[in-house]
Amino acid sequence: MVQGRVSKLQRYATKDGPGLRTTVFMTGCNLRCKWCANPEMLNAKGGMFYYKERCQHCGICVQMAALGTITFAEIGCAIDREHCGDLEPIKDACPFEAYESTSQLMDCETLVHKLLRDREFYENSNGGVTFSGGEAGLQDDFLYACAAKLRQAGIHTALDTAGLLEPQRLLRLCQVFDLVLYDIKAFDADIHKRCTGVDNTLILENAKLLCKQKMPMIVRMIVVPGMNDDPADITARLQFVKSLGSSVKQVDLLPYHNLGEGKYDKLGMTYELHDIGKMSDERMEAIKQEGQKLGLHMTIGG
Amino acid sequence: MKCLSFQPKNNDCDFERIARFQKDMNIRTATLCAERAEIITRSFQETEGEPIVIRRAKAFADILKEMTIYIQKDSLIIGNQACRNFAAPVFPEYSYDWVIEEMDEFAHRSGDSFQVDEATKQRLRALEGYWIGKTHKDEVLKNLPLINREAEKQSVLHRGGISMSGDGHIIPNHDFVLKYGFGGMRDIAKEKLTHDDLTEEQRDFYQASILAMEGALTYIKRFSELALQEAKHCTDEKRAKELEALGEMFATFMEGGARSFHEAVEAVYMTHLLMMIESNGHSFSFGRFDQYVWPYYQADIESGKLSKEKALEIITHFFIMTNSLNKIRPWDHTQYSGGYPLYSNLMVSGLKPNGEDGTNDISYLCLEAMNLSMLPEPNLSVRFHEHTPHSLMKDAAKLIRKGFGMPSIFCDEVCIPAMQSLGLDLAVARDYASMGCVETAIPGRWGHRATGMTYVNFGKILELVMNNGMDPESGVQLVKLNGEPGRDIHYESYEEIWQAWEKLLAFYTGLAVDCDLVCDRSLKYHDADAFASCTVNSSLARGKTLKNGGAEYDYVSSSSIGMSVVGDSLAAIKKLVFEDKKLTLQQIRDAMDHNFEGLEGAKIRKLCKQAPKFGNDDDYVDEIVADVYESYLKLLPSFKTDRYGKGPIGCTYTMSTSNITSYVPNGFEVGATPDGRLATKPLNEGASPCLGADKEGPTAVINSISKLPNKRMAGGQLLNMRFSPNALDGEENLEKFTRFMEAGRNKNIFHNQFNIVDSETLKKAKAHPEEYPDLMVRVAGYCALFSTLMPEAQDAIIARTELSW
Repeated sequence: MVQGRVSKLQRYATKDGPGLRTTVFMTGCNLRCKWCANPEMLNAKGGMFYYKERCQHCGICVQMAALGTITFAEIGCAIDREHCGDLEPIKDACPFEAYESTSQLMDCETLVHKLLRDREFYENSNGGVTFSGGEAGLQDDFLYACAAKLRQAGIHTALDTAGLLEPQRLLRLCQVFDLVLYDIKAFDADIHKRCTGVDNTLILENAKLLCKQKMPMIVRMIVVPGMNDDPADITARLQFVKSLGSSVKQVDLLPYHNLGEGKYDKLGMTYELHDIGKMSDERMEAIKQEGQKLGLHMTIGG
Repeated sequence: MKCLSFQPKNNDCDFERIARFQKDMNIRTATLCAERAEIITRSFQETEGEPIVIRRAKAFADILKEMTIYIQKDSLIIGNQACRNFAAPVFPEYSYDWVIEEMDEFAHRSGDSFQVDEATKQRLRALEGYWIGKTHKDEVLKNLPLINREAEKQSVLHRGGISMSGDGHIIPNHDFVLKYGFGGMRDIAKEKLTHDDLTEEQRDFYQASILAMEGALTYIKRFSELALQEAKHCTDEKRAKELEALGEMFATFMEGGARSFHEAVEAVYMTHLLMMIESNGHSFSFGRFDQYVWPYYQADIESGKLSKEKALEIITHFFIMTNSLNKIRPWDHTQYSGGYPLYSNLMVSGLKPNGEDGTNDISYLCLEAMNLSMLPEPNLSVRFHEHTPHSLMKDAAKLIRKGFGMPSIFCDEVCIPAMQSLGLDLAVARDYASMGCVETAIPGRWGHRATGMTYVNFGKILELVMNNGMDPESGVQLVKLNGEPGRDIHYESYEEIWQAWEKLLAFYTGLAVDCDLVCDRSLKYHDADAFASCTVNSSLARGKTLKNGGAEYDYVSSSSIGMSVVGDSLAAIKKLVFEDKKLTLQQIRDAMDHNFEGLEGAKIRKLCKQAPKFGNDDDYVDEIVADVYESYLKLLPSFKTDRYGKGPIGCTYTMSTSNITSYVPNGFEVGATPDGRLATKPLNEGASPCLGADKEGPTAVINSISKLPNKRMAGGQLLNMRFSPNALDGEENLEKFTRFMEAGRNKNIFHNQFNIVDSETLKKAKAHPEEYPDLMVRVAGYCALFSTLMPEAQDAIIARTELSW
């Protein structure tokens, strides 16, 4: 049976495609966007949140961990994540639920069964199911199996991807999806590399490929202050999207938010973009109008 | 002022005045008024020895003749309940000891405070002597069995408001009232009196009805004089004309039927107001307002007398005026119903008895009026079904988005079958309306009362199951589950625990019904109210008050609190003790005893918390919660009300979860529970999941609720959900939210209500109430200004899971 590692199910999702949806967040990602709002999904094996404010200093984790890797701090414990080893048993032992695993293995049947429970909401709102992440495409066998089953049940399926995947894998996935939400995070290769850690050649090529296949797409353009908001690059991004043709049904501008920042601390990670501010409404509106002038159907926020 | 979707085409609706009027009403101060108490005391002294129904009618007429009247500035709807706006009249005949005892505390309550000046205090104290030993409460306490008092000591039972106040819970037959007027109803009684085969009871009733209706007409004529007088001195030309018109209208108003839309709305308000001077029950409700005022609206629109804009103005004034009324309760009852609630439910839309959609202009205008009035009363509800216009639901969603909790929505596809489960014909069932918070009744056919006579604390019963029937707090033990005294008990299997649950539930339900009967028998005397009785079918024909069997139908729904806590607790026990064998029952009980304190307690609590919880679409626990409902539904129909065999159809019990804020004070009394809940924390509200237990989002909550026997909850099923404001931002989210509400129809959802306020705002409002005077929240089937709730109830609302997507 195919299994997948799922971080969470977001029911009543309103931003990841048409209607009311359930978004399935998959773990594992091959990009490292500085602004990532879901850092707990970066690692294919999932992650472990630590809520220091729940800790009562009982010392159980300190005793269980390899010597000196978990120590008492003023509030909660300090965890040396590199050397402390597997936190799973510690999570199970902590009486105060200070440790919380951010993912679980699920088999396809169980997941689809759960997703189908919201059928009435999907149907009443022309919604469906979206797979996102992390990079959902990395677990393509699992996705393929799940989406095929959902489609068989008459449910609209959407794939939210950053597109960094071998073309044949992506094309195969497209057979079972009705819609692709496709991230284009920068046009310029250097900017892309600086922001996400990877080159975007394949991403742009794949976008063209999907359009050639007439795959309905919503392009998502995140705009982060000082990272990928260079006006020239934004223009280039929009022009590239325009060149993709009629497959692109809509372009969602996603203004940067820092709602994921709190998660970094819980994962023992550092958030590099601390205090970079927000995109102004005026700027977002201007970008929207720029896209509209090109004849694109633009939204802010989706 | 921005409307939801209505676009005014003329200036007939004065929005500026509405804003001013709304503001005046919003900053109103609750006070006490001694007038009613003084007049009824004197009147009762004069009528000693006469039949009670006549004594009450005479007192009613005396009050209406003598009380201060005033015309509310700016209002097109007139009529006042007491000497000042939002002053609560006092009803010494129901209970008076607490008025005297708590008098100096009224102003200092942590919620629902009342300002009382020294003169009023003195006037009220002067009346005390007459009422000692004569009140309804005295009668109840005299007849309450000892064992009931013990069950109250255990905190399993709580005597509801009707043990010390009037009953209320009436939806008049407005078609009838509007057609005949008070004069017409008097004439029916007069005609009846000419029959020579009347019993003494009937003769008294008809005489009382005549007195009551005459009293009402006298009161109305006083307003005619006052309005004409004020018109003379009014410098504002428009207002002077209005007052003059009101003066003329009131000269003959309600002598016969309503003659215009304005009269129809005024008559609805006036009937409501008069019932609330006659008795101090609450939940006097308006029923299907858009249905019964429709013919008057239609006629006036067609004849050109009325514009849609003017209709909106009249309805809005009516809505605002319902907030001028007030009720004071003793502190222990206030905790059960915080926020000065009157629960005057007003329902729009839904199927007509013939199966057609009943949505009309008035349905939309009521939503607009609520958008303009934004006050806790009336408690606006919308019915919907497969063919309800999407535009109405969209307007409802727009109103919900405003964040003051209204309207709540009722789904015909679930509520109608629920009403049919009582044996009602389909056409009758289709005419249901909500009364109070979410209790359902058929307007004009039900006599008094749906829910909440005696409250049953399910959480406490569960605690007793774990303790062999003994309450660990009070040490009182009424049932020895294993036959032995003391609190130790051993269960071999989940089935044994379930049997103990059923046994105790049956035992305490019996006691609760006994308490209801004691209260009801006393209210036969103390709530012998001719005026209210005449507005309900059959009463005039039979010559009986409602409490004595005058109504066409009679059902009481028992009020149960904490089904989700019980279900979650049983699921935790079943899974942890009997299936996974991770814990023993003794371990759980020890942890409960110590409120899960210490390392061992924390370990056990973690397991308990991680057991399946209702509200997450998990069949394992959802089925157990459904079992808890079934265990109660199975019991109830065998119990009879006091009217059984006296005329009304039914006279049995059904189930409801409309438990108002009782889940908070009931929680105070319950120790830690096996679901991981800590001692004294609130139980769950209505049918909603336990606080913080639902982690899978709103659709999962709906899915869990959908597995309950909602189509047999003829007394009403309460669900309260909270969304963060950004979940309804913008047109697209609004549309999705509307679709979400509509999908409830396919999900067996009886009722749903929404709070759209984020926790941050609520926390700030708790800390700085003066900065949030008009923040209104949905409490439990009704709305209240957040600042008027007691802190514990505020916390419970803050803690209710925020569904933030």
